[in-house]
Amino acid sequence: MPQEIGRQYKEILRQYVMRQTEQNLYAGQNFSRQLIQKNIAPEDVISIHKAALEEMFPELPMNVWHSFDLLIEMMIRYGLAHAEHQSLIQQQEEMKVEMDLAANVQRTLLKTTVPELSGLEIGLVSVPARKMNGDYIYFLSDNLVNAGVAVADVIGKGIPAALCMSMIKYGMDSLQDATSDPEKVLDIINRIVEKSVDDDMFISMFYGRYNVEKSIFTYASAGHEPALFFNAKKDEFSELHAKGLLLGVVPNVIYKQHEVKMEIGDFVVMMTDGVTECRTDEGFIEQEFIASLIHSLRHENAQTIVDSVFKELEKMQNFELRDDFTLVIFKKTS
Amino acid sequence: MGYRSSVEILTEWDIVAARQLGRNEAKEVGFGTVDQARITTAISELARNIYLYAGKGKIEIERISEGGSYGIIIIASDEGPGIPDVRKVMEDGFSTSGGLGAGMPGVKRLMDDFKIDTVLGEGTVIKATKWIR
Amino acid sequence: MVKGFISGEIDAFTAPVLREKLATVQGKEGLQAELDMSDVSYMDSTGLGVIVAFFKNINANNGHVKLTGLSPRLKRLFDITGLGEIMDIETDDKGGN
Repeated sequence: MPQEIGRQYKEILRQYVMRQTEQNLYAGQNFSRQLIQKNIAPEDVISIHKAALEEMFPELPMNVWHSFDLLIEMMIRYGLAHAEHQSLIQQQEEMKVEMDLAANVQRTLLKTTVPELSGLEIGLVSVPARKMNGDYIYFLSDNLVNAGVAVADVIGKGIPAALCMSMIKYGMDSLQDATSDPEKVLDIINRIVEKSVDDDMFISMFYGRYNVEKSIFTYASAGHEPALFFNAKKDEFSELHAKGLLLGVVPNVIYKQHEVKMEIGDFVVMMTDGVTECRTDEGFIEQEFIASLIHSLRHENAQTIVDSVFKELEKMQNFELRDDFTLVIFKKTS
Repeated sequence: MGYRSSVEILTEWDIVAARQLGRNEAKEVGFGTVDQARITTAISELARNIYLYAGKGKIEIERISEGGSYGIIIIASDEGPGIPDVRKVMEDGFSTSGGLGAGMPGVKRLMDDFKIDTVLGEGTVIKATKWIR
Repeated sequence: MVKGFISGEIDAFTAPVLREKLATVQGKEGLQAELDMSDVSYMDSTGLGVIVAFFKNINANNGHVKLTGLSPRLKRLFDITGLGEIMDIETDDKGGN
C-alpha cells in the first residue's frame, strides 16, 4: 500500500510541477484526505514527497535532501499531536455513549407516576439543562385522598447531581405513606442525606401534600425557593414561605409545616430554580414575570399552564437552558 | 542479548548524545529516515524524563534480531523516585497539557512495544522496542 | 483570627479557586474566620456549597465563621436556604440597594 500511495503522489506532483493549475492543487488536497483516512503521519507524507522528488529530479543538490531530513524530524511531533488528538476524540465519543446510557438509567430509575385524584389537577414539566437532570420530582399518593409531591434541587448539575438523587429516591421509597406529614418527610430525608454526602454537597427540597377531602395543602421546605399560591377569588399570588435548612448540612433540623386552604380555581406552583438562578445581570427572568405569565394562563388546566410557561421561558432564553427546569402545579378543580 | 551501547544522562547535553547514539544505531541496523527520526524522538523523550524527574540515569540501545527481522530496544533506566501512577502517565492529554512534550503515550506510539517497570523510591526502567517493517 | 475578602462572581468556574484558598486556613483548632463578601456580585449554588463546606469544617474544629457585607440578593439566598439561621451573618447596610 505505501508504494501505491507513493506512486499516486508522484503522479499528482508531476502534474502540478508541469502545470500549476487550481485543478491540480485540488487533486492534491483530495489526496491528502485519503492519507488522513489511512492514518498516514505527516512525517510519512514528507518522506513520500522526498522520495517522489528524488525520482523526478535526482540532480538536485545534497543540501536540498538534507533539508527534508530536518523537516521530517520536526514533523514527528505534529504526527504525535495528531494521533493523540484522534485518540482523545475517540475517548470523547465513548464518554458520550456512556452518558447517554447513564441518562437512560436515570430516567428509568427516577420515574414517578403523576397521581390521579378527582378534584385535583396536576401539571408537571421537568427538563434537564444537560443530559442528566439535577432536579427531582417524587409523587407519593394513595390516589384517593392524599397527593404528596417532593420537589428537589441538587446542588450543581450533571452526573454528581444525578448520583445524589438516587439517594432521595430510596429515602422517599421507604416512606410509602401518602399521609406522611411534610415536616416528617423532610426530617427523614435530611438524616439520610446528611450521612451520605460530601461537605460541599446539599439539596433543597419542598414537600407539599394536598388532601382532597379537607381541601388543604400542607407544605414544608428545606431551603427551597418558596412556592407560589394563586388565590382565584382575590385574583392574586402570594409566596408560601416555610423556614427550613437545606438538606445535608446538619443532622438534626426541625422542619415546620404550614397549611393553606384551597378553593376551586386556586393553585400552587412549585419550582426548582431557587438557589441556582439568583442571577442579577441581564438575561435573568424575575419571579414577578413568571407570576404574571402564569396569571395569564390561570384558566387553563394545570398541564397546559406548565407546558406553556416552559415554552415561553425556553424561547426567552433562546432555547438554551442554563439550569435544569422543573415546574409542578397542583390545581383544585372541584 | 544483542550488542548494547549506552549513554549516561546527567545534564541536558547528554540528551543530545543519547539521540546521536540512537540515530547511529538505528541507521546501522537499517531503519529508514522517518523511523530513525521516530526512534530519536522517543529517546529524546525518555532521556528528558530522566533528566527532569530522576536527575540521572542512562539510555542504552540494544540491537535485536528475531526470525530474520531486525530491530532496536531503547532501555531507559534511573534510580529516581519512580512513577506513582503509571496509568495516569500513560493517559493521553496528561503530559502534553503540562507542556512536557509527547510524553509516554507519544513514546509508545512511536515504537512497536513499550514496557514500564517502576518501583516507588527505587526507580524506573522503560523498554521500548521497534522493528524494521 | 483570619479575615478574607471575596470579590466577583462565585460560580461553577470560580468556586474551585475559592475552595482552594479557603482550604489553606482550614483544619486549625478554634479558628475565628471572617469573610467579607461585600464585593461579591453573584453567587450560585456551587459557591454556596463552598461556603457551607468551609463553615462545617471550621465548626468541626471548634471555630467560628462570620460572613459580612452581604448584599440583599445574597441575604435572600441565605434566608431561603435556611443558612442565615445557623450562620453568623452581617448584612451590608451602607448602600441599602
